[in-house]
Amino acid sequence: MTVIPVFFGITLLVFVFLSVAPGTIADLMGEGGSAIASDQAALEERLCLNDPLPVRYVNWLGDLFQGDLGLSWQTGRPVSESIAQRVGPSLILTGTGVALAILLAIPLGTLAAWKPRSIWNKLASVCSMVSFGVPGFLLSLVLVYVFSLTLGLLPASRMYTTGTSGSLGDLLYHLALPAAVICISNLGELVKQTRAACLETMGEDYIRTAWAKGLKGRAVLVRHVFRGSLTPILTTVLTHIPHIIGGSVVVERLFGWPGMGSLMFTAILSRDYAMVMGVTVVIALTVFSTNLLLDLVYGLVDPRVRQGRGGV
Amino acid sequence: MKQRTIALAAAFTLTASLTACTQTPAPSGAQPQSTSNAPVVVSYGISNAWDSLMPYNSPSGSNYSRMIYDKIYDRLAYVHADGTLSPRGAKSWESADDGLSVRFHLDEKAAFHDGTPVTAQHWADTIVRMTDPACPTLGRSAFSVLAGTDSSGAAVAGETLGVTVEDEYTLKLTFKSATTPEDFLLDRNREYYVLPTHLMEDVAPADTMSMDLWAAPIGSGPCKFQSEVMGSALILTANENYQLGAPGFDELDITVMDKNSLLTALIAGDLDYYAIGGSLSAADQPTAESAGFEVLEGTVPNTFFELMLNNESISDARIRRAIELSLDKELLCEQSTQGHGTVTGTSVLPTCASYAGDYNTAYDVDAAKELLTEAGYDGTTYSLACTSNRQGLAALMQQQLEEAGFSVQVETVDSTTMFAGMADGTYDMGIASHTPNALPLWFTESRFTAENNIFRVADTAPYEERIDAVKNETDPEQRTAALAELEGYLAQERPFIPLWFGTALHVQSNTVSGIDYPSASFSNENVWEWVKE
Repeated sequence: MTVIPVFFGITLLVFVFLSVAPGTIADLMGEGGSAIASDQAALEERLCLNDPLPVRYVNWLGDLFQGDLGLSWQTGRPVSESIAQRVGPSLILTGTGVALAILLAIPLGTLAAWKPRSIWNKLASVCSMVSFGVPGFLLSLVLVYVFSLTLGLLPASRMYTTGTSGSLGDLLYHLALPAAVICISNLGELVKQTRAACLETMGEDYIRTAWAKGLKGRAVLVRHVFRGSLTPILTTVLTHIPHIIGGSVVVERLFGWPGMGSLMFTAILSRDYAMVMGVTVVIALTVFSTNLLLDLVYGLVDPRVRQGRGGV
Repeated sequence: MKQRTIALAAAFTLTASLTACTQTPAPSGAQPQSTSNAPVVVSYGISNAWDSLMPYNSPSGSNYSRMIYDKIYDRLAYVHADGTLSPRGAKSWESADDGLSVRFHLDEKAAFHDGTPVTAQHWADTIVRMTDPACPTLGRSAFSVLAGTDSSGAAVAGETLGVTVEDEYTLKLTFKSATTPEDFLLDRNREYYVLPTHLMEDVAPADTMSMDLWAAPIGSGPCKFQSEVMGSALILTANENYQLGAPGFDELDITVMDKNSLLTALIAGDLDYYAIGGSLSAADQPTAESAGFEVLEGTVPNTFFELMLNNESISDARIRRAIELSLDKELLCEQSTQGHGTVTGTSVLPTCASYAGDYNTAYDVDAAKELLTEAGYDGTTYSLACTSNRQGLAALMQQQLEEAGFSVQVETVDSTTMFAGMADGTYDMGIASHTPNALPLWFTESRFTAENNIFRVADTAPYEERIDAVKNETDPEQRTAALAELEGYLAQERPFIPLWFGTALHVQSNTVSGIDYPSASFSNENVWEWVKE
């Protein structure tokens, strides 16, 4: 039940911060300070910007209760329509990047913990270092330089080749570089968490028992170590879901990808606060849904949680 | 042994990477090749999203939005970078009623994308609807020059609106004061579009902006709307029946991307051209040229840099003049434009017919110090607002001002915050740039009024009087004299400091010919002359 006040708290905070931020959409009118007061006044009146803040928030909330996220201040079209157009590309881009990172991180992190003096552990360290140490924008520029400008292998921007109807092959072709950036950016954390979780599990008594029973190494690793580490790994993996929905501002902007991140970025720059609030609602709801999903998944993977013994 | 293997692998990877980095760029080599049946597509990049696709419902009225409207909707004329005009929606025009009116002879071949011919009635109905106070028009002040409107551009009840349909293809606009066709078109052409009013007959003016029409607009411009991902991508198709000729492509795909990615995407072959005018910084010129692109300098200045001043907090004109004397404009201009700028003491372009001189004040720190002493400057710290891309310039200005004895604090903000902060008095100074045109009052007319007093001058009347004198003068020599009077007063009061005019560098498309790059600064592009190779 704490979800409801937290949700309203988030929306209220964002609404207040937006309202007190310097400059409004009316200040964008005209070219470089040439705006005419009557034009600005007309816009302010249309958007009720002169109403007191509580009135505007209550009005916005009233619309939200009726399932209406309002009209974009910039385009005059429904906010929900814009979000609907952008969620898909974000899911494709960030979802692919994060999924690739998970597929690489779980075996790598597990092997790194299992064989601490092996090449896997060194590889895990290098991955973490690159992932944490190289910012996304720099990584994007390096990959574009190498694979687009120098080798001419992959496109540097857009979601589809212009003039095509958008085949799966073309999408994958355009997805390669931005998804690689997202993958590398998320890989470090996932490897680190997986490795740490496995190392912790390996110190548990039941692992010693498993060895003592004479189980083979692979059986101990898969049936006991990996399974016992699943809860913290799943926590890390599932907490990436809001990030997948919310998109990646830097990568989407640099690669001209029409996702939620670039939508939010444009909305903030153009002071389109109706859009910012709409995206906030979607991201907040995703976070809450993820938390709910986490609770359900904990129950599935950890019998102690199912039996109410507080395994987490 | 294992370590040796790893070292060898690392060395191989490094060598391969370095070899790859030194290869000749091979743009778009691996991209899918189009077949002979595939549509000819021009890929067009733009760094900022457009607003609503209804041109009179644009909150920002930005050049980026106008670049989109310019393609879907038709305007009366095409404005070239040097301020000359070509026919577009109108074939010709002439002054009438002793200069109070302009008669436009419309092109009979012009038609909306649904096939309906564009007539003078469409233009008149558009203006009548947009000036109707019940219609929630944004940017309505563009119509305030017409007779029968108030200062906000709304039609005044009981007065005759300055738009007349003389015959099916003759439109007459009547102004509040004598205006030449050239002055009107240079000033307002990019704000006047013809709408498909035949599709709006049953819609009340108040409901105009909520029409479904604007989700898939029908205009009479050189391109037709096909689809849109709002704020991100727009696909237009060529209007084969455009009166000035069909564009030499089938489809125009417009994508919003980060400003810093535009040149990269062009080099990689993902874009054919980017707005506005394929402009790039001097620092990027070698990159573009080494990638096989020709870079040409614009034919006329397209950027005017100024230092905005808050005349309320810097109320003494001597201090404002001391600021100008403290600035080494030549050095600042060189640093900012890398040789593609000319310092100035006026906002009026040298190509303006009424140009009255440059009114520039030479850099003189000692004279600045003397003026400061005379004015009794008390060491107040002034805030200098700038956007992130001008931090270096602001730091240099701060250093020069401090050498003269000023105390300055630089604040980096986004442009909206900067202009809002100048208007409400938050900042004392701000670095801004604008797109100039050949009209003498392009900059000053809109900045010294009760409606917009961004420099916060105590009394706008002396400025308004002098501006009106320029506006109302039709004799060329007298007009130059009136402009000299205004410029002299501005030089004495220095409510803002003109810095320099910059000339853009345009990276030329390797795949699309016929682009008039410099004229893009007037928010119009000659797409009907573009041909994709």
